[in-house]
Amino acid sequence: MTNIVEVQGLQKSFGKFKALHDVSFTVNAGEVVGFIGPNGAGKSTTIRTLLGIIHRDAGDAKIFGKDVWKDSLEIHKRISYVPGDVALWGSLTGGEIIDLFMKLHGSGDSNKRDYLIKRFELDPKKKAKGYSKGNRQKVGLIAALSVDSDLYIFDEPTSGLDPLMEAVFQDEVEKIKLAGKAILLSSHILSEVERLADKVVIIRQGKVVETGTLDELRHLTRSKVTMVTEGNVALMASVNGVHDFKHSGNQATFSADNECINDILAEAAKLGVRKFESVPPTLEDLFMRHYEV
Amino acid sequence: MQEKFARAHILLAQYLKRDWKKIIIWVLGLGLFSAGFVPAFEEIGKGQGLQGMYETMQNPAMISMVGPTPVETGASYTLGAMYAHEMLLFCGLFAMIIAALHVVSHTRKEEDLGLTELVRSFQVGRQANSLAVIAEVVMINILLALVIGGVMTSYGVDTISAEGSFLFGASIGMAGILGAVIALVMAQLMPTSTGATGSALGIVGLLYIFRAGTDVSNVDFSMLNPMGWTYLTYPFTDNNWVPLMMAVGFSLIAVIIAFMLEGGRDMGAGYLPEREGRESAKKSLLSVPGLFTRLNKSVMIGWLIAFVIMGAAYGSIYGDMQTFLESNELMSQMFTISGASIEESFTGTIMMVMIGLVSILPIAIVNKLFSEETRRHLSQLYATKVTRAQLYWTSVIMAIVAGIMGILLASSALGGTAISAMGDRSSMNMWDFLVAGYNFLPSVLFFTGLAALALGWAPRLGKAVYAYLGYSFALNYFGGILDLPEWFAKTAIQSWIPRMPVDPFDTITFITISVISVALMVMGHMGYGKRDMVEGA
Repeated sequence: MTNIVEVQGLQKSFGKFKALHDVSFTVNAGEVVGFIGPNGAGKSTTIRTLLGIIHRDAGDAKIFGKDVWKDSLEIHKRISYVPGDVALWGSLTGGEIIDLFMKLHGSGDSNKRDYLIKRFELDPKKKAKGYSKGNRQKVGLIAALSVDSDLYIFDEPTSGLDPLMEAVFQDEVEKIKLAGKAILLSSHILSEVERLADKVVIIRQGKVVETGTLDELRHLTRSKVTMVTEGNVALMASVNGVHDFKHSGNQATFSADNECINDILAEAAKLGVRKFESVPPTLEDLFMRHYEV
Repeated sequence: MQEKFARAHILLAQYLKRDWKKIIIWVLGLGLFSAGFVPAFEEIGKGQGLQGMYETMQNPAMISMVGPTPVETGASYTLGAMYAHEMLLFCGLFAMIIAALHVVSHTRKEEDLGLTELVRSFQVGRQANSLAVIAEVVMINILLALVIGGVMTSYGVDTISAEGSFLFGASIGMAGILGAVIALVMAQLMPTSTGATGSALGIVGLLYIFRAGTDVSNVDFSMLNPMGWTYLTYPFTDNNWVPLMMAVGFSLIAVIIAFMLEGGRDMGAGYLPEREGRESAKKSLLSVPGLFTRLNKSVMIGWLIAFVIMGAAYGSIYGDMQTFLESNELMSQMFTISGASIEESFTGTIMMVMIGLVSILPIAIVNKLFSEETRRHLSQLYATKVTRAQLYWTSVIMAIVAGIMGILLASSALGGTAISAMGDRSSMNMWDFLVAGYNFLPSVLFFTGLAALALGWAPRLGKAVYAYLGYSFALNYFGGILDLPEWFAKTAIQSWIPRMPVDPFDTITFITISVISVALMVMGHMGYGKRDMVEGA
């Protein structure tokens, strides 16, 4: 696999405020990378640096193997970008703006445009000042998805969209992923990232605190177990790898270190298992782990 | 009936609380603007000034702009008569526009923004908001009328009587109320707030143009025009209160119509359908220059029309220039240069003043790029193959072209009206006017260059270029009176340029300032290519 995006030790300050301390990650072709973190963590700053809108202070950032600042134009020929808050010219209609973006990008497909306008249920004849937040977002998405790129950068793309439109977006992203494109998806909506992303980068206060596939990340954490036994379930409390143990009668709930699952099962078997449910951690659990004080 | 307007008084109190700063600026700003020029007019009126002004103002071009006067001889053209003649229509026009904007912003705009929805969910009558807004505007305009009347009376000028002063104030206040009720009706008819604002201002504009026609042909017809009911009160001369009564009647009827229209429609809907826009873009939009042309179009058209009007207004006084300037010491000091014909020396000065104003447009176009940047309109464009150089030079070149067009329109409008006003006596031809105008091209380029430099290196200083323009403008305009030291006068860029046609053309200065200006633009380009784009904030 080729690295489409390669970021190494990125740093950026605005005056005294250090927005990015140390950001490193990669995005490969045919891969969706979920870029998650709360507001102000540095997601948009990282993306703006990648787009050559702002300078980096230190570190290395490459797209298609080219420097994001010096070769930005070369890079921009093959990327699409949707900002988190699409701001549009109030006096132009949605249709006009989509056409303009497609034209300035250079490789638009007008059939794709019409198809997407229909799918996202956008009224392209309305002046942009009359659009709601969700509709403005649709304009940005349609413009970005109607052109043929190798890398798609989405900065909280579905904010303001209703769940049906979110599903349409996810569908379209899956299509471009299957076509072998690289996608950097910054988002708050963890279920969306969970559904789409192959890899997750968690950023906190300008630092990447976790990177890996969801499976890898899950492995580092604990699953939630609910079990009912015939014997005294309280004995499970002392088994290695069992945490936050609670029980009432023969039913117990606890979290289990994933690498100790085998031992836990062996111990449980001795008590006679009637029911055993293990739920892997959701992305939300993973995410919250980094932000709980 | 009660139910419809329930709690309007609470909304009114709320508006007064929300708007008090705006109200203070509105009342004091417009009030002082309307009443505050009495000392300046006293200055103009000195000597034979009133007589001269009377002659000038008989010109149909002037009447179409400022309206008629009931005075029939120059001798009875008092200071009060002149003040009402030259100020009342314009001040009334401003009052109308401000009130119309205010009404739409508190009615249709709040509906568009979804605020009305929230308010309506409480125990508030369906039409309470409109009633509260109209009550607020009426209160503001009564206050405005009293402030104007009070300030004008306080000067203690013989011909500016207390009755006339308060009639003058009341006419302006009434104009505001007329603007408000027109806007309230349009707010019901139109489907969006921009549609309501546009149509309300459009009606005000049409009323103004109609009255220009009827004022020149037959003033009686202007009495059929709601706008006529404001300035045809003729304060300080006829002191006629009757038109105001008609305006009150008209306003009551308009408000009732507006309430009926509002009662019959759903919130957020209008009677006229929303105009559909284009589904796909025209080819002409699909490029950076195409986009920027579209974005700057209304500003450009607005200013270019203003330049034509300005040129024509100044041009129309060439006919009576002699009477006009000789009648007044201040004026003749400002506009005459010894050893040249009065028309020629006036041309030199007025050209400098006009081309100073023309510079506003290029500065606005260059500054527009930064406001587009902070509003994040360009975010998605940065990620395309559009270069920063393209964005920058498109703006700068468009600004230069707008400046060149502005000079062309201003100087040919001045020349055209001046030549026709002077008739056979004209010592200058069109070419002289155009040359005198383009002589100041380097100053326009210089302001464009300053704005471009700011855009590249310190974009927040873009607004400061207007401040420097204002400073230069004031220095040029009043420089003749104040007898400033050479070095001080030269801090205004236009002072370096000779005033044609009196002074000869100076090739070296022309080229030097132009080259410096282009250098500023190139420096701006280097900064723009390097700096971080500012988004949001």
